[in-house]
Amino acid sequence: MRSTPRTERRRPTRWMTGAAALVAAALLLGWVIANFPRAPIGPRYVGAGHQTPRSGGTFIFAAGSNIHTLDPHFAYDTLSTAACRLLYDGLLDYDYDGNMIPGLAAELPKMSDGGRSFRFTLRNGIKFHNGREITAEDISWSLHRLLSERIGSPGYPFFKSIQGAPAYHRGEADRVEGIVVLDEKTIEFHLDEADQTFLNALAMPFSYPLAKEHVEKLEQAEGRDAVGRHPVGSGPFTFSRWERGVQVEFERFEEYWAPQARPDRMIFLENISSDVASARFRNGDLDVVYRPSKVTRLFLRASEAWAPYRAESPSASVFALGLNCELPPFDDVHVRRAVAFALDRSKLERLDPGQVIAATQILPPMLAPHDPELPTRQGFDLERAKEEMRLAGFPDGLIEPVTLWVRGEGEVRAAQLFQQDLKAIGIEIELKMVSFATYLKETGRPRVAQAAFTGWHQDFPDPSNFMDILFHSRSIHPENSENRSFYRNPKLDAILDRARPEIDREARLALYAQANAILADEAPWAFLYYPIDMFAWQPYVKGFRPHPVWLNEYRNVWLDLPRERVSQSIYEQETGP
Amino acid sequence: MIRFILLRAMWGVLVIMSVVTLVFFLIFVAGDPAVTVLGPQARAEQIADFKAKKGLDQPVPAQFLSYLGVMPCVRKDSPKYERDDGSRGFCGILQGDLGESYSHHESVAAVIGHRLPRTLLLASLAVLFELIIGLSAGVIAALRRNRWSDTLIMFATFVGISLPTYVTGPISLLLFAFLLGWFPFGGYGVDPLDHLYHALLPSLILAVAGAATYARVMRGELIETLRHDHVRTAKAKGMPMSRVVIKHAIRNALLPIVTLIGLSLPFLVGGAIITEKIFAWPGLGLLTIESIESLDAPVIMAVVLMFGVAVQMGNLLADIAVAALDPRIRLED
Repeated sequence: MRSTPRTERRRPTRWMTGAAALVAAALLLGWVIANFPRAPIGPRYVGAGHQTPRSGGTFIFAAGSNIHTLDPHFAYDTLSTAACRLLYDGLLDYDYDGNMIPGLAAELPKMSDGGRSFRFTLRNGIKFHNGREITAEDISWSLHRLLSERIGSPGYPFFKSIQGAPAYHRGEADRVEGIVVLDEKTIEFHLDEADQTFLNALAMPFSYPLAKEHVEKLEQAEGRDAVGRHPVGSGPFTFSRWERGVQVEFERFEEYWAPQARPDRMIFLENISSDVASARFRNGDLDVVYRPSKVTRLFLRASEAWAPYRAESPSASVFALGLNCELPPFDDVHVRRAVAFALDRSKLERLDPGQVIAATQILPPMLAPHDPELPTRQGFDLERAKEEMRLAGFPDGLIEPVTLWVRGEGEVRAAQLFQQDLKAIGIEIELKMVSFATYLKETGRPRVAQAAFTGWHQDFPDPSNFMDILFHSRSIHPENSENRSFYRNPKLDAILDRARPEIDREARLALYAQANAILADEAPWAFLYYPIDMFAWQPYVKGFRPHPVWLNEYRNVWLDLPRERVSQSIYEQETGP
Repeated sequence: MIRFILLRAMWGVLVIMSVVTLVFFLIFVAGDPAVTVLGPQARAEQIADFKAKKGLDQPVPAQFLSYLGVMPCVRKDSPKYERDDGSRGFCGILQGDLGESYSHHESVAAVIGHRLPRTLLLASLAVLFELIIGLSAGVIAALRRNRWSDTLIMFATFVGISLPTYVTGPISLLLFAFLLGWFPFGGYGVDPLDHLYHALLPSLILAVAGAATYARVMRGELIETLRHDHVRTAKAKGMPMSRVVIKHAIRNALLPIVTLIGLSLPFLVGGAIITEKIFAWPGLGLLTIESIESLDAPVIMAVVLMFGVAVQMGNLLADIAVAALDPRIRLED
């Protein structure tokens, strides 16, 4: 090809320009990398060093989705509960060891009639945020609102053991017979049959009292959902404003019955994903982070500087493979046991270090009578698994594969680990991925899913909340069974029915210990793990520790202000050269 | 023209109706809304109560007709369920009633009312950035055709089109918000100015792909127009190049852009789903994800209805705008 002298002259020039541009770009990139700002390796701020608690400041925390309502009678999700915990108070509450303590009540109730009646006396000086003193009538009125058909609260089933509650709920009675106001300060509850878990129900946000005059005025003016937007409660903080989907703001209630140092304001941010929350926390824009993103969790666990300001504790949940006891092959207890012994749960702990503890029984570690030495506890034991397969009559394994329902990518990964384990005892697993919606609908029907990932998080800290609901034959229905493994055992039913009303705490726990042993042994669920939750807080946040019952409990927090920005270089030594 | 608009509107209503019907029935194929909204902890009794309250215990076709507002209300908790004279009222979209959200404890209208302005703020800022960045880059590239600035711009647009928001979003957050601290780290802020400040980064990210597309289209159109006779005539008359470009060339080149903007409006709202998730922007996109996850049927339906209307309106407006800009185009059916 012929080229003109002109292009011959230009070509090297262009080439050189390009090379120069490349060199310049490389230099620029080098400069940027060298001078790039670095993420902080320790806290950005520290406190002022006050030893005694003091009020003041604004405490900011966040969650990954929406707060659905501030009306405690509808607060059935963790975020609404967390917000209601600041705004309201109940007759009963839990301390940091999970023991029941009085809240608005002056003391724990006096029991009579073989555990069928409970009498509460209210504290003196308890007030609604509008300044009015709370009376026994308010407690009664609020429970009537909760139980009414008109309101349609999901809390109804927890209170239906009150005499006359079902009739009132159906609109057949004007009042609930079993709620009796004796005087301004005294209220009595009568149940149809003795039931110790009724006290747990009274500690749930569903029973938190509302101010009648406020509710009636609001509902008249703005409709039934108005209470959830302008709450008036009796908790340590008053409602200030709510930008829906963005944040709720609270202010300290000066007339609270249990005065102590608290922040002036609290801000609860909504819809902040764990990635965003984690980064904001490390920047010092959030005062506490709960369940940080995986990267941040690993970082916080490894960082010495953060060590005093983080906590990891098991949450009150359990995850498992639910085995359908009505469908072959899991109608045979030996096959179920074989599965329970074949799963090597330590793989899960390796897959997600510090996130899970291998589960051995239905009750999570913090809930009595959890027993780490339970003789029938589940665990990896290949020989016993093979032995159980022989006892079941399948020494060479099953011919047909088993279908395992999984609900998401995380569970698929876990299931694939267990696929190998179960193959070792001759059980072939086919995974069936379904949406959460499909899972909920279909696994509640008998004879549909052979095996499925499943789990439970406690509504309240009592063994009955795991065992009665998940494994009592009463929980089997043609649709929407709570007992999704369709396990029926008259012996277990009898033990649970005796335990529920038992007044003597030791005798009650002994009965649940028996039930616990039966469930581990009969293996309607092959238990997988208890999840671990991580919290981290800024050094200037004082008085915080994870609560065993309430997931985001910030009532007792105070701020050591003014906070001071620290130079990151103080952490340089720690990481070494 | 009027005939055209009427026909198009009727067609639009038909399309929207079919989508609404399809989605309504799909929700019930996907699962049981009562079971999903109440979650894995729900007791059978709670589910039954909820179904009775919301009319979910009725046959699905009856629920659908009630939702449309052509059959009496099946939702017992609706204030319109019972009229004063004891007869059953109507509570469907024909009566302007979108129902009550299953999970938000508010009317759907209120829920959308909180979210829509936020998404509109994000989307309109994004359109603004798309136009400013895209058009100026396109004009520069066309005028400096085949020079290094043109190559650079075209390379940048190529990258811009290729990079999805779920890549650019987190990277920009990490860089500009976390490490450099120039922008807030996600969220919506508390007052109007703060909202704007919080919207800058996500709207820029949302605008990347659009700006790149506009730049390429603008460049192509402008190069084409610059070859036209009327441009050559204007140049020959001795008109300054800047006036030629602004007065004669750009106006013509804008035509396809206008169509593109009209078509992109619904996608800006739709595309905002990912952006809103990444930047924790509590708008319609986040609402859509949540309501689908929890099968909050009334909210899903309202969002579908709105997207349907937005798409149809966007198309119609684009057609009308093109006709207004180009006298040669006559709108006929």
